[in-house]
Amino acid sequence: MSSPAINPGFFEPSPFNKRQLYVIGGLSALAIAPFVIWPRLSERLLATDFLPHLYCYLRNPRLVWTHVVADSLIGLAYLAISITLAHLVYKARRDIPFHWMFLAFGLFIIACGGTHFMEVATIWVPLYILSAAVKLFTAVVSVTTAVVLPFTVPRILALVQQAKESQQVTARLRASEERKAALLREVHHRVKNNLAVICSLFYLQSTHTKDKDAAQIFRDMENRVHSMALVHESLYGSENLARIDFAEYAQALARDILSSHAGPNAPVLLKSEMEPLIMGADLAVPCGLILNELISNAFKHGLPHAADGEIKLTLRSGPEHKCSLCVEDNGVGIPADLAVDPGKALGLRLVRSLTQQIRGSFELVKVDRGTSARLQFTVDRHEL
Amino acid sequence: MNSDLVSPELRALIVEDETLIAEELGERLSHLGFSVIAMVDSAEEGIAIATRERPDLVLMDIRLKGKKDGVEAAKEIRSQVDVPIVYLTAYSDQLTVDRVRGSEHDAFLLKPFQGRELQTTIEVAMRRHAARRQKKNEI
Repeated sequence: MSSPAINPGFFEPSPFNKRQLYVIGGLSALAIAPFVIWPRLSERLLATDFLPHLYCYLRNPRLVWTHVVADSLIGLAYLAISITLAHLVYKARRDIPFHWMFLAFGLFIIACGGTHFMEVATIWVPLYILSAAVKLFTAVVSVTTAVVLPFTVPRILALVQQAKESQQVTARLRASEERKAALLREVHHRVKNNLAVICSLFYLQSTHTKDKDAAQIFRDMENRVHSMALVHESLYGSENLARIDFAEYAQALARDILSSHAGPNAPVLLKSEMEPLIMGADLAVPCGLILNELISNAFKHGLPHAADGEIKLTLRSGPEHKCSLCVEDNGVGIPADLAVDPGKALGLRLVRSLTQQIRGSFELVKVDRGTSARLQFTVDRHEL
Repeated sequence: MNSDLVSPELRALIVEDETLIAEELGERLSHLGFSVIAMVDSAEEGIAIATRERPDLVLMDIRLKGKKDGVEAAKEIRSQVDVPIVYLTAYSDQLTVDRVRGSEHDAFLLKPFQGRELQTTIEVAMRRHAARRQKKNEI
């Protein structure tokens, strides 16, 4: 279905300033002209040499007051309606198509109100000539409105049609947006699933390997892929399917690594102080891999046999989107050869190259009790 | 693993459509002392085997091959056999989690899972199941 052609003219403000000022000016001139040509006209107009209606009603108070109240109410109502219309046109003059039509309506209604007010006046004061003039004016305005209105019907119908179609377009866009989100969600689900299958493969291979070192390699690989799978899992559940809260992710990852490393004899306490930090997948994947290495390192090198092992995770976001992620353990500290030549351990090598990839900085610091691994990076340049 | 919960004769059924993940689950279950009677990838097969073989534990994926999903399969199995059921599900899938919460099961394991989570979840499921059975007997 093609999108409806929107006629821009409908929504453009009418050239009120010029053309309509001419019309109003012309009408005013037409109304004033007779008084100028015939100065006695105003005198004639206000002539009261007739019998007021009061006599026709035989001064019956019920009849008189019923007329007075009813005519006054009608007149006031008409006045209120036209004030509302004028207010509407004034407020929405840029958005209402044919606002001159509303003005014509307002004028027509005011004129009708005028005739009713005259009805009230003529009960006591026989201003019949003025009353006739008001009626004549009302007739002109009414007839004009009545004649012009049918011509606007097709345009109003077209406008209604356009509104309907634009509603349909909006609905279609929304549906397409939802389909896109569902598709994206499905993609994340599949990626996560495939990564989970790779994890299973590594696990299965590790259980079929006699060599302890080789088995450990497969476990390490399983954990690395798992850290990536978890990003897609988080994305899948995130609202906009593009960004995740890294603090939440890090919690889940740390818990998983803990459960994969912790033997029954080495309960390790996990402490975390993390501020929420929203980031895109392109940053979350390398950060997740880095965090995986750092936590695994803490287990492997820091806390091999610690009975009161403790790992502390800290995530802070500072000014200008600068963030720091810190993994601290209370273990035996960095082995001397690792600290001197980081190339020796694959884990740290991965950390260093991933740090380079996210344009961050990394340092491994010996602290009072144990080791502190500190990663600093900036979020905004990666933001989607 | 707690030895009163898992003794060698305990039999488990795995219903999971990713066969390699099923393999991993199978391996992990045998490490925990279960004998895996079958690994199937559809709800229909799962229901058939569960009702025929009456296993001691069912691991049930939510997304499955075939028309029915894991939640429906669990419901049908539960209507015929009293067996602890552990769902395998993605935690972030809120709709699924909500549906799972209100359905017939004893525990659920969030995927991707790792390490000892499986063991802990199975222990929880079997303990809950035992408690429920005891309550039923008392009544």
